Amino acid sequence: MRTRMCGVACVFSLLLVAGCGAGAADSGQIRVADVASGAAQKVYDDIQSLPRAQQRARAAELARQEGTLRVYTSLTDDVSNVVQKEFQRQFGVRISMFRANSETILQRVLQESQARKPAADAVESDFLEMTELGEQHVLADYTGPGLARVAPSSRFEGWTADRFNVFLPAWNTNLIKPADAPRHWEDLADPEYKGRLTLEPTDSDWYENVTHYWLTHGRTHRQVDTTWRKIVDNAKVTKGHTTIMSLLGAGQTPLDSMNYTYITQQARAKGAPVAYRLPDGTNPIPAFPRPNGVGMLRGARHPAAAWLFYDWMLDEGQKVLVAQHLTPSTKVPGDTSLKGLNLVPFDTKTLAASSGSWDKRYDEQLRGVLGDHE
Amino acid sequence: MTVTTDLPAKPAAPVPALEGPSRLRRLLSPRILVVGAAVAVVGFLAVVPLGYLLHDTFVGDHGLSLNAFRRAYGGNTQAGRMMLDSLEFAVGAAAFALVVGSVLAYLQVRTDLPFKGLLFAASLVPLIVPGILYAAAWIFLGDPSIGLVNTLVLHPLLGTSPVDVYTVWGMIWVQGLHLAPVAFLLMVAAFRGMDPSLEESAAMSGAARRTILRRITVPLMRPALISAALLMFVQSLESFEVPGLLGLQNNIYVFTSRIYFVLRSYPIDYGSAGAYAVGLLAIAVAGVLLSTWLQRGRSFQTVTGKAFRPQPVALGRARPWVGAAVLLYFLVTVVLPVAVLVYASLLKTYSTPSAKALRGMSLHNYATVLHLPLAATALKNSLVLGVGAATVVMALTAVVSWVVVRTQAPGRRLLDLLAFTPIVIPGLVLGLALAFVYLRVPLPIYGTLFILLISYCTRYLPYGMRYASAAMTQMSKELEESAIVFGASWWQTFRRVLVPLASSGLIAGWIYILVVSFRELSSTILLYSPGTEVLSVLIWEQFENGQLTTLAALGVCMVLILVVLVLFAQRLGARTGIESDTAN
Repeated sequence: MRTRMCGVACVFSLLLVAGCGAGAADSGQIRVADVASGAAQKVYDDIQSLPRAQQRARAAELARQEGTLRVYTSLTDDVSNVVQKEFQRQFGVRISMFRANSETILQRVLQESQARKPAADAVESDFLEMTELGEQHVLADYTGPGLARVAPSSRFEGWTADRFNVFLPAWNTNLIKPADAPRHWEDLADPEYKGRLTLEPTDSDWYENVTHYWLTHGRTHRQVDTTWRKIVDNAKVTKGHTTIMSLLGAGQTPLDSMNYTYITQQARAKGAPVAYRLPDGTNPIPAFPRPNGVGMLRGARHPAAAWLFYDWMLDEGQKVLVAQHLTPSTKVPGDTSLKGLNLVPFDTKTLAASSGSWDKRYDEQLRGVLGDHE
Repeated sequence: MTVTTDLPAKPAAPVPALEGPSRLRRLLSPRILVVGAAVAVVGFLAVVPLGYLLHDTFVGDHGLSLNAFRRAYGGNTQAGRMMLDSLEFAVGAAAFALVVGSVLAYLQVRTDLPFKGLLFAASLVPLIVPGILYAAAWIFLGDPSIGLVNTLVLHPLLGTSPVDVYTVWGMIWVQGLHLAPVAFLLMVAAFRGMDPSLEESAAMSGAARRTILRRITVPLMRPALISAALLMFVQSLESFEVPGLLGLQNNIYVFTSRIYFVLRSYPIDYGSAGAYAVGLLAIAVAGVLLSTWLQRGRSFQTVTGKAFRPQPVALGRARPWVGAAVLLYFLVTVVLPVAVLVYASLLKTYSTPSAKALRGMSLHNYATVLHLPLAATALKNSLVLGVGAATVVMALTAVVSWVVVRTQAPGRRLLDLLAFTPIVIPGLVLGLALAFVYLRVPLPIYGTLFILLISYCTRYLPYGMRYASAAMTQMSKELEESAIVFGASWWQTFRRVLVPLASSGLIAGWIYILVVSFRELSSTILLYSPGTEVLSVLIWEQFENGQLTTLAALGVCMVLILVVLVLFAQRLGARTGIESDTAN
């Protein structure tokens, strides 16, 4: 009897699982269904068919009727709390924010789409994840007035950059004198930093960008490989940019190979002895600004509120981001986050097309098992 | 009679053959209904995520495939080294925790050690502190360049900084200390349930104390020891925080850190993650088989119908020394990590102690914690989930462990194994699996607290099972048989004889699950929704945001809340008839 009951439970559970189709053994992937709600698209069309100047008012009116908005974001919670408060204050629409790292957001949106139960109306996350959501046709097109405020290079399929995470080294000012701070990415390979450098194990986008930069600036594959090996030899690996920043401030390691400048700036504002600029306020190292952006879902249950959030993030939301030391994607008076930096283009093309190969390569580089560049 | 010889297998309640309506009545008896329902729930909880995991790992585009294993273990993945590191870490941490936990439990229950109350409450602190926080605290203590143990104590004394938490030994130390309370709780329950008359007889016959320990106490404790060792081995295999925070610096990877990186890379290779999880499962199954083999052919029933009151072993002249050693242990494992957290919680940004740092101290971080918009919701949800999961799991496992331990029901070993499997499904994978399943089930479970409750019950089922079955194993069958002889029904026997006698183990399990539910993060992070945030999610948020000092303040608050809860649970336990050793 007991075995029979156990058997029934097993069979029922297996049936549930078997109903899920092909597994992930071959591709590694779980397939995604194309989820679009006709009702949501109708609302988007309704708003965007109006002259641009009237779109905002119409969206605000409809959003108030919807009453609520659900956003999935990888903004840190100190920033997302302010965003939430300001948006609610301005429109009277209640936002519930689900905050997590970008991979979780991607995985969750795809999984919910696949089950045809999309819970999010809008998403705000990192470049790779937004690109993937765009490619999976999860996001609806936005053609509102916000687009005109950003550079063409910040517009992507299904989403638009609302902020940049700028990649630069950071150092502890008590332990590294200005004269000893790195001036080039190659300096990280200098033996003087042996054992004094930190690497973050998921920074493959930075790894790709630096590699790409070197290769397009006269370095050979062999030279690039050698430099990376020396950098890895110098370094200790620590997980999490913010953890690294705390440890950097506490003097555990003097130099962080790369952190987002806003994280360094936030720590500095709280009194930590860290910097990413030299005392003269400049940094000659090529800085890569990674676009992070906003998108609205095709299956949104509160589409007008989603549209409003998208539009707002490219307008008033930009000032909120600047107040939190983030780098906006539009020109905002008072934004000094890029002052004195040597900005170079972020290589979106290679990363978007690489489908994970740079993650793998970076992982192999860190473990010291990467073969010579083919 | 204390250690019984194995009696021939007999059903606990012989029932004469019945026909027709009597047969139906028999099927609807409380025994069949309760046991059937418990077995069905355990089967369901365990099989769903396991089925999902196996499906995604072994099923490809065209049927069965081993490609996921090729990707996970082949090429230059250094899988061999990873497995060796995993084993070294898990075996080391489990052995360390077992020794520390058992010695402390022996001292607590069986000797006249001073400061027993302090020992019990304080021994739980490492269990209460979430893994991330405990590992972070040990970075601040044992880092070669900024660790306070090095900078404040060893460097001034020796001129070098020998302590390094980033080695395998460092990882074993931190994980072992974090796990020792689990061993302690399990062994306290086992020691309490043991009739010391055999030890006393041996002593009367002139055996030396060491001989008694070696020949009587340790063999009697064998099932509990093996059970605890297995649990800690598997838990170390499955833990992520310590290898994630400490191991990477020196390129030490274990199964869970590989899974973490697979799940964090783009695009996520669910097949590889599954292949690593299946690898973990295989090692854990080997552990289960080994432990079953070690326990073969013995009986360890030590709770009998005879009343006993263990006489504490007098430590004699050693008492002050043992007391001092215990104090030192707590200084190192509890006071230091908690003190460094309290210190960090008073700072604006973390720095090693200096005049400047001390001047800038304030309670600002505690104010921040109190004003976190989600603090009240998270506390409420954590309480509901912790109490809910602990109660559900212990109720279930009390019944299921009875089936496994006390009956000859066919398939009981399978049931035991089923109830054990969730332990090796890493939290991240379990979270994925549950989200995947409940998104497809036409029940309003996804996005509610209920999915978190299911997840917690699944995760802690194996722990509940170990506590419950250790308690049931020790209980002599004669008690149950006498109750039945005197005409008690199965339900009465279960409720009025078995559960009260096993209550020491069941309450220890309840406390354990309550505490670990508070810190569960890896599956929660994939399953919570706005409105169902819990405390561990708040902790993670602070960690991800780099608010290490606010995180420390939150951790200190959480430790305080849990200490209160644990003391409350213990008082409750005392009221339901559990002897408190602290009174000795």
